[in-house]
Amino acid sequence: MLYPLEARNPEVTREVNIVWTYLLKRLGFVIFVVWGVTLATFFIAQVVPGDPALSALGDNAREEQILEWRELKGLNEPVIVQYGIYFRGLLSGDLGTSLRTGRPIVQDLKDFFPGTLELALTSVIFAIVFGVPAGILAALYKDRWPDLLVRLLALLGGATPIYWLAILLLELLNNRLGWLPGPGRLDAYLIPPRAVTGMVGLDSLLARDFEVFVDSFRHLILPAIVLGAFNAALLARMTRSALLEVLGQDYVRTAKAKGVRSSTLIFRHALRNAALPILTVLGGLLGGLLSGAVLTETIFSWPGIGRYATQAATSLDFPAIMGVTLLAGLATSLINLGVDLLYAAADPRISYG
Amino acid sequence: MRVSPAVLSLFTLSTLLSLGVASAQNARQTTLVYGGDWSDLITMDPAQSYEFTGGLVTDNLYETLVKFEGTNLSKLKPSLATSWKVVSAGTAEWKVTFKLRAGQKFSSGNPVTSKDVVFSFDRAIALKTNSSFLFTDVANIKVGSTRAPDPLTVEVTVPKTASTAAFLNLLTFNIGGIVDSVEVQKHVANNDYGTAWLKTNSAGSGPFKLNRWDQGQQVVLDANPNSRLKSKLSRIILREIKEASAQKIALESGEIDLAENLTPDMIKVKLTDNKFNVYKADSLRIQYLGMNSGEGQPFADARVRQAVRWAVDQDGIVDGLAGGLAKKIQTIVPYGLFGANTALPYKTNVEKAKELLRAAGKPNGFEVEFLINNGSCAANIPCPDLAAKIQSDLAKVGIKANIKQLVQAEQLKTYRAQNAQLILQAWSPDFPDPDGNATPMSDFGAKSLAWRNKWENVGAAKLTQQAALETNPTKRAALYKQLTELQLNDGWGAMLYQPINPITIATNVVGYVRNAQGQVRFEKLSKK
Amino acid sequence: MVETPKLEQKVRSEQARAVARLLRNPGLVTGAILILMTLLVALLAPFISRDPLFQDLSVRVQAPSSVHILGTDQLGRDVWARVAHGARISLWVGFAVTALSLGVGTFIGLMAGSFGKGIDNALMRLTDIFLAFPSLILAMAIAAALGSSVGNTILAVAVVSWPSYARLVRAQVLVLREREFVEAATALGSSRLRIALQHLLPNVLTPILIQASFDIGQAILIAAGLSFIGVGVQPPTPEWGAMVSETRNFISSAPWASSAPALAILFTVLGFNLLGDGLRDVLDPRARK
Repeated sequence: MLYPLEARNPEVTREVNIVWTYLLKRLGFVIFVVWGVTLATFFIAQVVPGDPALSALGDNAREEQILEWRELKGLNEPVIVQYGIYFRGLLSGDLGTSLRTGRPIVQDLKDFFPGTLELALTSVIFAIVFGVPAGILAALYKDRWPDLLVRLLALLGGATPIYWLAILLLELLNNRLGWLPGPGRLDAYLIPPRAVTGMVGLDSLLARDFEVFVDSFRHLILPAIVLGAFNAALLARMTRSALLEVLGQDYVRTAKAKGVRSSTLIFRHALRNAALPILTVLGGLLGGLLSGAVLTETIFSWPGIGRYATQAATSLDFPAIMGVTLLAGLATSLINLGVDLLYAAADPRISYG
Repeated sequence: MRVSPAVLSLFTLSTLLSLGVASAQNARQTTLVYGGDWSDLITMDPAQSYEFTGGLVTDNLYETLVKFEGTNLSKLKPSLATSWKVVSAGTAEWKVTFKLRAGQKFSSGNPVTSKDVVFSFDRAIALKTNSSFLFTDVANIKVGSTRAPDPLTVEVTVPKTASTAAFLNLLTFNIGGIVDSVEVQKHVANNDYGTAWLKTNSAGSGPFKLNRWDQGQQVVLDANPNSRLKSKLSRIILREIKEASAQKIALESGEIDLAENLTPDMIKVKLTDNKFNVYKADSLRIQYLGMNSGEGQPFADARVRQAVRWAVDQDGIVDGLAGGLAKKIQTIVPYGLFGANTALPYKTNVEKAKELLRAAGKPNGFEVEFLINNGSCAANIPCPDLAAKIQSDLAKVGIKANIKQLVQAEQLKTYRAQNAQLILQAWSPDFPDPDGNATPMSDFGAKSLAWRNKWENVGAAKLTQQAALETNPTKRAALYKQLTELQLNDGWGAMLYQPINPITIATNVVGYVRNAQGQVRFEKLSKK
Repeated sequence: MVETPKLEQKVRSEQARAVARLLRNPGLVTGAILILMTLLVALLAPFISRDPLFQDLSVRVQAPSSVHILGTDQLGRDVWARVAHGARISLWVGFAVTALSLGVGTFIGLMAGSFGKGIDNALMRLTDIFLAFPSLILAMAIAAALGSSVGNTILAVAVVSWPSYARLVRAQVLVLREREFVEAATALGSSRLRIALQHLLPNVLTPILIQASFDIGQAILIAAGLSFIGVGVQPPTPEWGAMVSETRNFISSAPWASSAPALAILFTVLGFNLLGDGLRDVLDPRARK
C-alpha cells in the first residue's frame, strides 16, 4: 500500500520491502538510543550528590520551604517513581519543568535550539567551503607547498583550544580592526523578525528584512569560524587522504594516461568516490558540534543550547540537562541515520543489514 | 582552479555586509541599550522576583507606595502614596495608613485603587515566594492585615513585634510593587494568582511596560504612556552579555550604551579614555569570610578568628584586585546604613596573627577546607582570584586553607548545614536598615549567618533585638555601636570589603543614578 | 638448531627496520619531540621555574621581562612557572583519562566481540547510548555536581571517551575471530575468556595504541575546556585551560598571559596528534598511504 506502483514487480517489491524494514529497524534503534540517553542521564542525576533546591529557591529559602519545594517537584519520591513520572511525560512530549527558569523545558529548548542550529549549520557550511577545496588542493599538489600549508593548517586547527581562538579573533577582528561585530546575535537596535524558524537569518529573509539579515550574518561569521575551524581541519585531512586513495587507483591512472584533464578527473570521478568517507566524517562533525557550541556560545554570548546547558549544569538543573542531552542524542542519532541512508544510496554495494 | 560559485557568493555577501552598519541610526537616539550579565533574571513578577536583575526591571515596571529618591536610603519619599502615618492601635498593634495619589492609571488604563494594593500585598504573602518572608517574618503581617476602607486609603495592621520602620523600608523593595488586580485576575490559571502570566508580562503603573523578553538575549521595556512618570527615552533594552570581555567589546563598538560588569582592570583602562564615564554606585553588599566557631572547630577560639583578621591583606584586595573600586570594611554595619561603624582597627600584621595563634595553642597553624563558589565575587572580582589571594595571606601565618570550589547551590547547602569551616560569601541586607545585617549576623536564633557559623552569643542576640525595636535614634545608634564592637572582637567573620559597582557609560548618556539597593530609575535616563 | 640464530636475526632486523621506519617519519619524530619536551618541562618544573602559587600584587599583569620570562598574571604570579607546572596536570589528565577509558573500552569491546550475540548486542547498545551523549555537557554536569577537582575531571572525561575504544576493539575482534589461529585455539578447546585475553588482546593492541595517542591530546583539550568554563580544577591550581580563562579579560593589554597556556595546550595536543598520525602510517599497513 505504501508503494503501489512497484507492487506489480515482485523483484522491486522485495527490494523496497528490505529498504522499509531497514528504515523501520533503524528508526526503532534511534528511539532506543534516545530512551537510553534519558535513562543514563537520569541515573547520573541520581548518583551525583547535587541538590538543586537552593539554586532554585535562593539563599533566603527556609527549611520548610525547601521541603515543600522538593515535595512539589516530586524529588522525595523513590527514584523509580520519579523516572516513571518523567517517562510518562516524555511519551506525551512533556520534558518537565526547568528548575532554574521555571518554564517548560520544551519551551526553553524551542527558544534556544534555533540559535545553536543556525550557528552549527553556518559553521558546517564554513567547514565544507574551506575544508573540502583545501583538501582537494592538497591532494593535487601532494608534497608541494599548497599541500604542506594545508596540512600545517589542518594540524593546527585540530589542536587549537577553540576558546582561545575565539578570544583572539574577537580581539583582532572586532576590537582592533573593527571589521566584524562583537558578541551577540543581532545589533540591539534592530528589531528581530517574527520568529518562524527561530533562526534570525532565515526569519529575516522570510520577512524580507535585509538589513536584519545582513547584520545577523555579520554576527554569525566569527562564532561560525571558531566553531568550524576544527571541522574544516578534519574535512581537509579527510578529503586529501580520500582523494589520494582514489587517485592512486587503476581506473583513474588509466583515465589520466588517456589524457583526461586533472580537473575533470577530480570533479567527475575522484571526488564522487571520495564523497563517501567525507560524508561519514561530516555526520560525525554535526554530532560533535553541540559540545563545541558550549564553549563558543559562552564566549560569544550566543543564546543557544550550549549556553543554556552551561547554566543548567552550574545550577544543577537536571531536568533541563536531561532535555538537552535528549535533544542532542536525538539529533546525533538522526544525523547518523541520515548519513547511513545517503551512504547506502550513494554506494549500491552496501547491503541493508 | 576555477572560481567556485561558493567563493563568488562570498564576495557578493561581503559587499552586502558593508551596507548593514549604517542603518538603525534614528532608533539610537530614543533607545538605550544596557549590557550586562542579566542571566539571574527568572521572572518579572514583583512578588516573585528576588534577584538583582529582577529588582532592576520590576522597579521600573511597578510603582511602590513609598520609595527612595536619588541615592539617599534614609528618607522615604511619596510614590503611589502621597502621605502615610503610623499610629499605635492598642498595646499589640501599629496601624499604618496610606493616602493614595488620585488619578493614577496602570498601563492597561485601569485606575490605581486601594483594592490593587490589598491584592498585591495579599498575593505576595499567599504565594509564599522567596521574598514573602519580608512581609511575614520581618513585618509580621498576613493575608487580611491590609484593608481598603475607601478607594484611595490603605490601612495595614502591623504587630508591635515588628518594626514599622522596617516595614516601610521593605515596601521600597520588589515585593512592594503594586500590580493591576483587574488585569492580573484575567490571567489567573490554576489558582496561581496570575504568576505564570506576570512572569513574562507586566501590569503596573511604573514608567515602563514590558514589550518583550527574549530569554537569554534581551528584555525590551517601552515607555508606559499611562504613567505619571514620563520617560525621556522611548525604549530601554537590557541586553544579556555574560562575559565582561564581551561587554567591553560591545561598549567600545557602540552596540551598548552602558556596561554593567566590566572588571576593575578594564575600568582602569577605560578611565583614561574620554569616550566613557564611570558611575560608581554604592552598595550595601559585604564580601566576608565566615569562620565556623562551633565547639571543636578550628575557629572555636576567638583569638584564632582575630588572627585571621590580622592576617588578611585587605589593602591588597581593595587596591590590587578591586582596583580601588571597593571600600575596606571591618564591622557588620557598613557605609550607607544607619549606625554604620566604619572603624578599621585591624591592619595586616603577620607577627600579631602568629602571636594570637600561639596564644590559642596553635603555634604551627592548622589546615582547613575553604569553600568558594564559581561565580563572581563582589566588585566583579572573580572568586577564584580572591580566594587565591586569601589563601596566600593565610599561608603566611601558618593557616593552610584548601580551596574547594563548588557551584553556588552546593556551597550554600554545606554552609546552611553548618558544615563549612571557612567560607567566602557575600551578604546584602534585604532592606536598608542596620537590622537587615544585625539580626542575621548576630542572632543565633534567627538561623541565618550567625547560626551557620555556629556562633552563639547571648549578649549579641539580646543587643540585636533591643536595637531593632528601639525608636529613639540616638539610643539606637549607641546600641549598634556596642554590637558592632562586640562583633569586631569576638565575631565569627572577617568582613573584607564593600564593593563600589562601576557602571561604564557612554558620555552621551545622562541621568544615570543608582542607589545602594541597585535601583536605577530608567525614566530619568536620556541621550545627548 | 641452525634455524634459531637465523630467526633471531630476522626478528632483529625486522625490529631495526621498524625503528628506522619510525624515525624516517617526520611527523612522528616532531610529535615525539614535542611530547618529550612537555614531559621534560613537567618533570623539571620545580627546578626550572619558581613557585607557581607565589603572589606579588605589586607586579600584577606585567609584560615578559628577564625576571618573569612570560610575564605575570592577575595576581602577580609568574606565568612561566604556572605553564611549566601546568604541564604536570595536563599530562596527568591526558594519560589518566586515556588509561581509564582504554581499559574500560577495551574490556567491553573484547567481551562484546568474544561472547555470543546477546552480550554483544547489550554491550554495543550501551556503547551507542554513550556515543550519542553530548560529551562536554555530560562532563560539565558531572563535574558541576561532584565539585571541581582533577580527579572528577578525569572521571567526567573518561565517561565520555571509552565508547570509541569499545567499538574499535569489537570491530577488530570480529575480524580476528575468523582467522586461523583463533579457530585453531577454539578447536583445541581453549575457553572464550582465554582466547580473548591470550590471542585477541595482543592483536588489537596496535590500533588501540594509535587511537590512544590521539585521545591523550583530545582528553587534554576537553579537560582544559572544562577548566575554562570553571568546572575543572580547584583554584589556584595552575591548569592551562583555567589559566586562559583567568587571564582572558587582559587579552588586549596582556595577550601573553592567556596565550602562553593556550600555546602550551596547542603544542602538546599537536604533539600527540602527530604521534598518532605517524604511528598509524608506520604500524597500520592498511591505512598507510
